[in-house]
Amino acid sequence: MPLDTSTYGLALLRVDGRRWNELRRIHGQIRTQAAADGSSYLEMGHTKVMCVVTGPSEPGPRRGGAAGGASGGAGSGGQSKDAEVVVNIVIAGFSSVDRKRRGRGDKRTLEMQFTLSNTLAATLHTHLFPHSQINISLHVLSQDGSLLAALINAATLACVDAGIPMTDYVTACTAGSTSTYAANDEGADPLLDLNHQEEQELPGLTVATLGESDKVVALVCESRVQISRLEGMLAVGVDGCKQVREILDQVIKAQGRKMILEGTVDKGTGLNDMDLD
Amino acid sequence: MPREAEPSLNEKQFVLQALHDSVRLDGRELEQYRPLELTFGDQYGVADVTLGKTRVLAKASAELTVPYADRPLDGIFNIATELSPMTSPAFEVNRPTETEVLISRLLEKTVRRSGALDTESLCLVAGQKCWSIRVDVHVLSHDGNLIDAACFAVVAALRHFRKPDTSMEGGVLTVYTPAEREPVPLSWLHSPFCVTWSFFGEEGDVAVLDATWMEEQVRSGSCTISLNKHGEICQIAKLGGVPVEAVSLLQCTNVALVKAKDMSSKLDRWLAEDARRRDKGGLLAELSAENDRVPDM
Repeated sequence: MPLDTSTYGLALLRVDGRRWNELRRIHGQIRTQAAADGSSYLEMGHTKVMCVVTGPSEPGPRRGGAAGGASGGAGSGGQSKDAEVVVNIVIAGFSSVDRKRRGRGDKRTLEMQFTLSNTLAATLHTHLFPHSQINISLHVLSQDGSLLAALINAATLACVDAGIPMTDYVTACTAGSTSTYAANDEGADPLLDLNHQEEQELPGLTVATLGESDKVVALVCESRVQISRLEGMLAVGVDGCKQVREILDQVIKAQGRKMILEGTVDKGTGLNDMDLD
Repeated sequence: MPREAEPSLNEKQFVLQALHDSVRLDGRELEQYRPLELTFGDQYGVADVTLGKTRVLAKASAELTVPYADRPLDGIFNIATELSPMTSPAFEVNRPTETEVLISRLLEKTVRRSGALDTESLCLVAGQKCWSIRVDVHVLSHDGNLIDAACFAVVAALRHFRKPDTSMEGGVLTVYTPAEREPVPLSWLHSPFCVTWSFFGEEGDVAVLDATWMEEQVRSGSCTISLNKHGEICQIAKLGGVPVEAVSLLQCTNVALVKAKDMSSKLDRWLAEDARRRDKGGLLAELSAENDRVPDM
């Protein structure tokens, strides 16, 4: 264990000075790459992710094997009646402290690709684009915990930018618990949005929900934790997802407002009463 | 790349409609497992698990090696999963499919990351000699719910396994053959079991345990929960798929705990039976080099 978070009990402040239910600073941008169909840049604390969406387009020649990315939803290839969501994650060598190179076949990355592609396939209206492919390419520039959550949020933003019809925002965040896994202390607080240090030594989970509902699209827990802790962690996580949704919504609305003011897009009917300060 | 034939539209609709009426093709309850059977091989550490028509074989083996430079005090523990073309033509050798990657990741998280095997106890000489424990998982027949069956097989194989006894005297490490000293079991801390829920329909409102291959092909989402009998969650993986209410996921976890406890007691019973079968004439107690820790008064 690299560091000691047991000081939490003294002042109820976490290592980075947050309280238990505080998110880190989230900064999002969309339409960062002019050439792409959809693109986004997201920072959750020091975790920084870029996302580029290409498609829906005609599927290109098949790349070999699992390295070509996880296929989502039903069937594979361009033959199915649903669009295929292909996710590719590149984790930059300089993104973490120990500068470790991860190959393409890294199982953890493959699992994240699979999770993302299945999460988005359930939310995007893929049935509107038969025989086609949606390529989502994610680049991790800096890692400081909650990586999967940041990837899901960035992909959501980019898909909105690409104008792919979807049911609602899919937003994700992490939640943890201050108790160590063995201890059964009742006084343990749930924590919202873990950073890297907390992720290393406390039990935690990543949860992704659909819009403002309590519906969980993805739930990933990789640490040992008492079953009684789960309810608290899940509740805090789902609540955090709603906060994240608000923030992402503001990012999208701000971009929309900017585009109308610049005259890039026409102001739609019914938008006359919209406040464009 | 060859692909598995998909079920026809009629078949899909039939299965789904039946599930919505809480009927399964094989007449089981929604939360009922298929009959789980376990046979141990003649050797230590071979477990053959059948779950309905799904059959998984796990074999544990030990080898003396040098520990990793960054972890001089830990032994090595690996789980290798192999889905051969024998199982289904869709699996090819040397080209891991998505299923294979996911199974091996899940087993790794469930058994290795949760600390079920005490890797420090595998170290013999710090930085120089340690045991490398390897479990090979072979899927012999695939009729759905590979994960639960594979996890059960791995845990059973490891708990059944005995590694050669060793001793250190004056800096000399001696490894004893089974003839010299009875092999010793691994230092096992807790037994995690995977329980997989499958969700059906657009809303994911039908939740089913132990799906068959047919059911797996028409499901819209799944969630694998790993627990031990002490009520500790070792891992949860709901990797996308249909959105499910958070409250029903909590209920699923509670039911999963009951199933995990059930599997745990079954495994304990089978292990005890096997130990009795091997212990002919009560010889094992005599052969054991372990001291029963009673102070000599």
